[in-house]
Amino acid sequence: MTDYILLVVSCIFVNNILLMQYLGNCPFLGVSKRMETAVGMGMAVVFVLVMAGAITWIVDSLLLKTFGLEYLRTLSFILVIASLVQFVEMFLRKSIPALYSGLGIFLPLITTNCAVMGVCLINIMEEYSFLQTLVTSFSYAVGFGLALVLFAGIRERIILARVPKPLQDTSIGLVTAGMLSLAFFAFKGMV
Amino acid sequence: MLGGFLVIGGLGVVIGVGLALASKIFYVYVDPKIEAVEDALPGANCGGCGYPGCSANAVAIVGGKSSPASCVAGGPDVAAQIAEVLGVEITLKEPDISRPGCYYGVQDADVKYLYQGINDCRAAALLDGGAKICPIGCLGLGTCVRACPFDALSMGPDNLPVVDTERCTGCGTCERLCPKHIITLTSTSERMIGEYVTDECTAPCQRDCPTGINIPAFIQEIRNNNYESALAIIKEKCPLPLICGYICPAPCELACRRNLVDEAIAINPLKRFVSDYEMQTGKHLTPFKAPGSGQKIAIVGGGAEGLTLSYYLARLSYHPTIFEAKPQLGGILRYVIAEDRLPRKVLDHEIEGILETGVEARTNMRMGHDFDLQSLFEEGFDVIALTKGGFDSRQILKPDPSGYDASVPSVFTMLDFIYSLSKGKNIRESRRVVIIHSGLEGLELARKCRDMGAQKVTIVSSLKAHELPIELQDAKRLTAEGIIVRPSTIVTSLRGISRRLVRVAIEETDPIGELPEETMTIRADTLILAAGRLPEFVFVRSEEAEGLEPGEIAWETIESFRTFPGGNDGICTPPEPGRISDSSAVVKSLLSGRRLTRAIHRYLTDGTIPPIQHLVCEADAVLDVREVHDVSPSERERPDILDVTGDSKRAWIFPSEYPGLNEASAKKEAERCLRCGLICYRKQK
Ligand code: SF4
Ligand code: SF4
Repeated sequence: MTDYILLVVSCIFVNNILLMQYLGNCPFLGVSKRMETAVGMGMAVVFVLVMAGAITWIVDSLLLKTFGLEYLRTLSFILVIASLVQFVEMFLRKSIPALYSGLGIFLPLITTNCAVMGVCLINIMEEYSFLQTLVTSFSYAVGFGLALVLFAGIRERIILARVPKPLQDTSIGLVTAGMLSLAFFAFKGMV
Repeated sequence: MLGGFLVIGGLGVVIGVGLALASKIFYVYVDPKIEAVEDALPGANCGGCGYPGCSANAVAIVGGKSSPASCVAGGPDVAAQIAEVLGVEITLKEPDISRPGCYYGVQDADVKYLYQGINDCRAAALLDGGAKICPIGCLGLGTCVRACPFDALSMGPDNLPVVDTERCTGCGTCERLCPKHIITLTSTSERMIGEYVTDECTAPCQRDCPTGINIPAFIQEIRNNNYESALAIIKEKCPLPLICGYICPAPCELACRRNLVDEAIAINPLKRFVSDYEMQTGKHLTPFKAPGSGQKIAIVGGGAEGLTLSYYLARLSYHPTIFEAKPQLGGILRYVIAEDRLPRKVLDHEIEGILETGVEARTNMRMGHDFDLQSLFEEGFDVIALTKGGFDSRQILKPDPSGYDASVPSVFTMLDFIYSLSKGKNIRESRRVVIIHSGLEGLELARKCRDMGAQKVTIVSSLKAHELPIELQDAKRLTAEGIIVRPSTIVTSLRGISRRLVRVAIEETDPIGELPEETMTIRADTLILAAGRLPEFVFVRSEEAEGLEPGEIAWETIESFRTFPGGNDGICTPPEPGRISDSSAVVKSLLSGRRLTRAIHRYLTDGTIPPIQHLVCEADAVLDVREVHDVSPSERERPDILDVTGDSKRAWIFPSEYPGLNEASAKKEAERCLRCGLICYRKQK
């Protein structure tokens, strides 16, 4: 049990996918201008990542490992994740339209989100079991959402500040992201 | 190697087939029109349409919830494209653009404190509404400028936002963000028919001008040598500027802030100066015309009010036609006011200008004799407005010896009615009579009607029950007589068929209990007004069609002006029955002409006529200053009396002999204007 708790904490804080592993930085800068979109994106990532983690784990262990084709991992994962997102989009649209209209516009964005790909690969490399894969995928996604929401909160306030012209917008965003990342370094060695 | 190919290829095939299947299984029908509309929309996601983004608006447009012309950023081109996709026609609307309404930047205004906080107006507004003393002043931190998605705003030299009218798409982002509501979206036509409200920056003179000319703005244009734009500003509110220049009593000058220093600005002479300037050119300034739908509107009465109404309707691209009983247009201006006071060439010049905007006039046409409601509707008029004059116009018309004015079927003024009774004329047999009156004369008349064979007589009064004469309070006895008294009630509209009145809609102003959902109507074939003249009725065709014979047309009146909900001013309420403003001066008729325009325009475009809240002219107090500082006195410019030997007193009485200001003194006079706002004014630095 403690293993799992440690896993969760380490995925959310210590190895935060955005701020410690620097994966998925484009949505981090792209959709963090408003709190609303940040929350929406966070939810969508949680949803997709758990599914992607599970499916890629299955593909890897049933297909790639059995045929000894581990070198095709990246390629096939891209394939699987992209089509998964497509599928989920179609499914939600038909079956849960409410959820679709909430997450709708973020789903296509996730297709190209390297954080999803990264987490799936990490899961395989760390040789997690299926259950562990689910837990890590979920916690990484929560970490992603947390960072995104924190960052959006900061950015909403930054717009109000007098920022020198050359530093406005993305530049100040990157500087802030760097500082936020430094803050997360404090979690290092916690687990 | 081969295995790799097979696995990836196989994976691809499986996934491909899976997705293909899924797209069949989870197929959701999306109207292809939605996509087409979305493609046509600019994709700016500005939210100007009121939906969160372009795709949401596309769905709404196809679903019929939003108009094809709703995209403000796209403008008419996009609207046309969308209309094509949907296969509908659109009526183009004049684009709204943003318009800042503050004239003095923070550095020129009086402030309560120095603000040095976050560079955002929304933050600054949290501190006691901003640093300015003026509660509606621009804070000048440029939140609107930064927010504009189309780069149409910039901060001007005096720290006020400036709109690039070419770029502004009217998306409304600035309006939504500005914490002080400085920036609003308006169009010229909205401003033309709009009235000032209390939370708007207005100068004292502007507020006291009955027709609401933007006086400081036009004087500023004179200062800048733009006489034509000065005139355009005047004509936005006052279609007869030269006439007003001659005979207006100029209440604006009494309110002028300059009075606190020395003497009022010569506002009226300045107005006459620019209008004279136009007359000298011999041409008429072509006014802005808003795109419109071109309905035909009949205006009965060609006096100041009717001329104003037709002028505004023409500017809104309707097709107004004036019906005048006399051989020439002008009403009181022509037939009552002495020629010495108002030279007829001035009048003709002004009327010509109005006719030039696209107004048709038919003279020698008397309502009830040469034409009536039925014939006008048959001719294809959509609206018929009565602007029968400030004075009892029948005096001018030499009335029918039968005594009564037959213009509106079965509607009589009390005087007419009694007069014809005394002449022994039998006014058509009536069964259900409605009398609008609060006094004993009304009761007497009601009894007379009963004697003449009316089955039921209803007396409608806006007074409360206990305010009525005691005889009218005895409901029981009166009911036994067949007379019903309705206190606290106003008449809100008339309904009729062809040449007869059928119903009268009434509303309780002081209802006991819940307000009724719909207005009540009572059956009536005769309506008698306490007034000496008919109110400004506006007739439109009505949808209701009970008991219509073939060829008959159902009509009703619309309520043209109500200032606040629940206010007790229906269409025929004393003391100035049904007048939407009084006619004690020509400018006041201009105001009522414009209010009628607003009503007709709103009715034809939106279907409802919302009351205007917080009207400046109704407000008890509007913010103003009591002292003026840093302004040095200077003498008011006076026209040179050309003939010094002549009797200059005479010139005061007969302004036609009184020359206007010459250009040099007009410019000097314009320099004296303080360009006032609610609180700010031009100080000498
Ligand atoms: S108009 Fe409003 S938002 Fe723009 S600078 Fe002035 S106060 Fe600020
Ligand atoms: S000084 Fe000018 S703006 Fe001020 S009240 Fe007089 S005329 Fe109007």
